[in-house]
Amino acid sequence: MNAPRLSKQVISLALVAPLLLFLIVFFALPLVTMMKSAVSDPVAARTLPATARSVSSWNRTSPPTVEMQAAFVADLRQISDDQLFGDLVRRLNSAKSGFRTLMPKTRKAALDTAGSIDLVALDKRWGDISYWQAVSVAASSKITDRNLLAAVDLQRDASGAIASVPADASANKAIMLRTFVMALTVTGACVLIGFPFAMIAASVDGWKRQLLLGAVLLPLWTSLLVRTAAWFILLQDRGLINSVLMQSGVTSSPIPLIFNRAGVIIAMTHVLLPFMVLPIFSVLIGIPKNLMPAAASLGAHPVRAFLNVLLPLGLRGVVSGSLLVFMSALGYYITPALIGGAKDQMISSVIAYYATGAANWGMAGALGLVLLAATMILYAIYLRLSSERETSP
Amino acid sequence: MNNPFIRLEEVSKSFGLLTVVEGLNLEIGKGEFISLLGPSGSGKTTILMMLAGFENPTSGAIWAGGKRIDSLPPHRRNMGVVFQNYALFPHMTVSQNVAFPLKMRSLPRAEVKERVGKALDMVQLGSLAERRPSQLSGGQQQRVALARALIFEPEVVLMDEPLGALDKQLREQMQLDIRDLHRRLKLTIVFVTHDQSEALTMSDRIAIFNRGKIEQIGKPSDIYDHPSTQFVAEFIGETNLVWGTVKSMEGGTARVQLPAGQQVLVETATDLGPNSKVCLSIRPERIKVGRREAAGNNITAAVSDIVYHGDHLRLIARSDGQSLIIKTDRSQPTLSIGDEVQLSFLSSDCWVVRP
Amino acid sequence: MSVLRFSKLIFGSATVFFLIAPLIAILPLAFTDSVFLNYPIPAYSTRWFVELFTAGVWQRSIINSLIIGCGTTVLATFLGTVGALGLRDKQLSLVLTTIKTVFLLPMVVPAVVLGVGMQLMFARYALTNTYLGVIIAHTVVAVPFVVVNVLAVLQGIDRRLEQAAASLGAAPVTVLKQVTLPLALPGIVSGAVFAFATSLDEVVLTLFVAGPNQRTLARQMFSTIRENISPAIAAAAFVFIVGTVLIAIVVNFSRGTKRAKEVR
Ligand SMILES: Nc1ncnc2c1ncn2[C@@H]1O[C@H](COP(=O)(O)OP(=O)(O)OP(=O)(O)O)[C@@H](O)[C@H]1O
Ligand SMILES: [Mg+2]
Repeated sequence: MNAPRLSKQVISLALVAPLLLFLIVFFALPLVTMMKSAVSDPVAARTLPATARSVSSWNRTSPPTVEMQAAFVADLRQISDDQLFGDLVRRLNSAKSGFRTLMPKTRKAALDTAGSIDLVALDKRWGDISYWQAVSVAASSKITDRNLLAAVDLQRDASGAIASVPADASANKAIMLRTFVMALTVTGACVLIGFPFAMIAASVDGWKRQLLLGAVLLPLWTSLLVRTAAWFILLQDRGLINSVLMQSGVTSSPIPLIFNRAGVIIAMTHVLLPFMVLPIFSVLIGIPKNLMPAAASLGAHPVRAFLNVLLPLGLRGVVSGSLLVFMSALGYYITPALIGGAKDQMISSVIAYYATGAANWGMAGALGLVLLAATMILYAIYLRLSSERETSP
Repeated sequence: MNNPFIRLEEVSKSFGLLTVVEGLNLEIGKGEFISLLGPSGSGKTTILMMLAGFENPTSGAIWAGGKRIDSLPPHRRNMGVVFQNYALFPHMTVSQNVAFPLKMRSLPRAEVKERVGKALDMVQLGSLAERRPSQLSGGQQQRVALARALIFEPEVVLMDEPLGALDKQLREQMQLDIRDLHRRLKLTIVFVTHDQSEALTMSDRIAIFNRGKIEQIGKPSDIYDHPSTQFVAEFIGETNLVWGTVKSMEGGTARVQLPAGQQVLVETATDLGPNSKVCLSIRPERIKVGRREAAGNNITAAVSDIVYHGDHLRLIARSDGQSLIIKTDRSQPTLSIGDEVQLSFLSSDCWVVRP
Repeated sequence: MSVLRFSKLIFGSATVFFLIAPLIAILPLAFTDSVFLNYPIPAYSTRWFVELFTAGVWQRSIINSLIIGCGTTVLATFLGTVGALGLRDKQLSLVLTTIKTVFLLPMVVPAVVLGVGMQLMFARYALTNTYLGVIIAHTVVAVPFVVVNVLAVLQGIDRRLEQAAASLGAAPVTVLKQVTLPLALPGIVSGAVFAFATSLDEVVLTLFVAGPNQRTLARQMFSTIRENISPAIAAAAFVFIVGTVLIAIVVNFSRGTKRAKEVR
């Protein structure tokens, strides 16, 4: 490669650099930060350094040694920051409940007396080996798979093996399943409406096609919040739909349409339908106009021609459209948050709850990682399909 | 050439593994009209792009006016380029397009205006100065492109199939216009074309390209009458290629035996050893029908097809397994398929080509 | 009329109705006199528009949206246009082609996931609860639209136009200014419009990154719907929908006239 060609590439790179840098810092780095928060667990290792050292030689099955107890007490005496101590308690309590009361009590004793303390005498829970196991696991590593396991309703039991969490405490799997089912329902609804609609739009022309496409594009260009607000207003108990139904005597009391599954599905279908119609339409419109007459001239019945020619080609659009809709639906937040009830919240809402409501960044990060991975896999498939289409028309 | 104005010296160009131009040596004189002719993909455009500075040679050197220019950026080479699709700026009017090179040279406004007016008059477009390129016909756009490439009086004008998109009539008109401009303005023009008749009518010299190399370079009549290779003979015009074995050589004339046993006399400049295999090229219009030529070669053949072409007839005749095409005028006595005819051609119309 | 055509008509109309009717149905509610968003409308007034443009929170949020929207538009249009110029060459090395795919990722990554990450990271650099932070967050999701739009026009520009300009004596920067950018202008403008619209409509990242002082119109609408729905929402929606339709008409019209000019 000679110099001028190289310099062309250098110029290209220099032009791309600001954007690349911007996206690395403000797009990739936040995602990395989020992923790190899912696995990082520094608080116990930072606050209990001496304990970490002394438990490294412990086999985690024999009773706790005297040195370990002394190191633990020494560490407790070192913690001056109450907030940090709070973090530590929360961390330990999340591994084994009981620490919430045990820790303040122990710290108070450690600060009040100067010499060594018999912890088991202070509280008999310190005689229970599982508490020490929790302390040992927390203190000896700065990273953890706890959040990732919890995201899929798993945990490590006392011996460190992976096990399911008790049925009453498991919620995430249910939410993922719900998210999956809702996204699938919306995708299905979009296919059922979008495919025939795109076929109709491709089969007419002139103002009719303009009208049909305009009907798809106008919602697409309209603010998402406006569309959600519109559905909110329409679906209310005393909203337009219910008043029409009641006045026409179909029902005597309002049908619950809002804060439930049906409402969310309707609104999401409305919001995502354009993403189904447009890819199908663009595939259909790319089919040479004379293909259908050609099939007919070869003696194919219109229905046969449709089944053998148009349908298979259109299905490729359906696949891309479905991937797009499903991918978007998986990560949906606004519509379920505003129109759904507590039982219709999808994984995004749970992530938002962990992040803003509970300040549990570990869980927010872990669930975010699951959602991110699912989305990226779907996107990779989508890219694969669309690049295949480009190379083999 | 004594004092070439442009000189390409061992120029090669590769795109990755593909070598498009290989070891090219070419000299172009000042005021010369040279055409680059060759099949698609033979590297013509690439050579023009290297002259204009849009591509850099992989190796070799390019000189113009005594200076080495191959590392000079395009905007400092002072060469006018006319592209096949004209490349007029769609967001500027005709006069803005033509004024562009002068503005780039920061000429005073009054002078720009005056010279643009003159240039547009020269190509007879004065009345369309305020139109946009999209509002012009193909021929008009072509003339704007020409005016734009000439207005800054470049030393060299490079044209890449500038007439390719025009219909036949317009193309012939523009060929005359360009020749006229070339003479009046004493321009040096490098002209790339696909169209052999265009090259033959317009150029001082033609360079025939094949796979990135020059097959033959010379005056149009040289190329047509004395093609040096089989490729050139077939590429320029139509020809009959006949293989044979040299029997004897006397002075400038060789006696060649054709596969079926007939012997023909061939004038040639090169010395051919006896028993060497040669390829002969005979132009279809040089073969006479129904006449015996005392000084030339005579063959009897059977007419196997007759094709009517308006201004001439084309006969396909077979003689001992050898098929020949003959172009003949219409005054020939009526022939019909299967007739036996006498064919003759001069030994000077029979030319030895390298395979 | 055949059964097929009849069912096409019915299905097509029903779907158009489903798509458009919700947007039309809430328009009249913007003019209600009541505090409820119900039909029939008891009396008409413009009180909710007055509320929208004068009440403290709404007015503040509109101003914030304009500030953040303009900031995002400028930043995203600049970064996206410059980046697209670097990405346009079709014979780029593999690195840049891969980068091209990566540039579209912000459109794909779920907003909540990105929001969580941004909140965590921005907090470290004191960017949360600042205008700059919100503008940066919006730019991240807006910039792909600019890249896509500008790249599309750039790839439609005939390279020979730029080569012609260079052969006529224009230095590279002049070629950019006099030929490339004027020809790319439609794409740059539509990219900028997309960027502004994206910022205007962004809620999720705003929830995570903005503080009470940067509450945008979309964010304000979100909490109004969530906490106590009021007809001011319908008024805001009215403004949005009418604005969208107007822009669509203007864009279509200018494209139409441009095409007509070229044909002439
Ligand atoms: N930028 C490039 N990258 C890779 N290959 C190229 C490039 N430009 C030209 N080529 C290849 O170089 C060869 C010669 O191309 P060139 O355009 O010079 O041919 P040409 O003689 O002008 O043909 P035509 O008569 O069809 O215009 C072709 O095989 C072409 O594919
Ligand atoms: Mg070419």
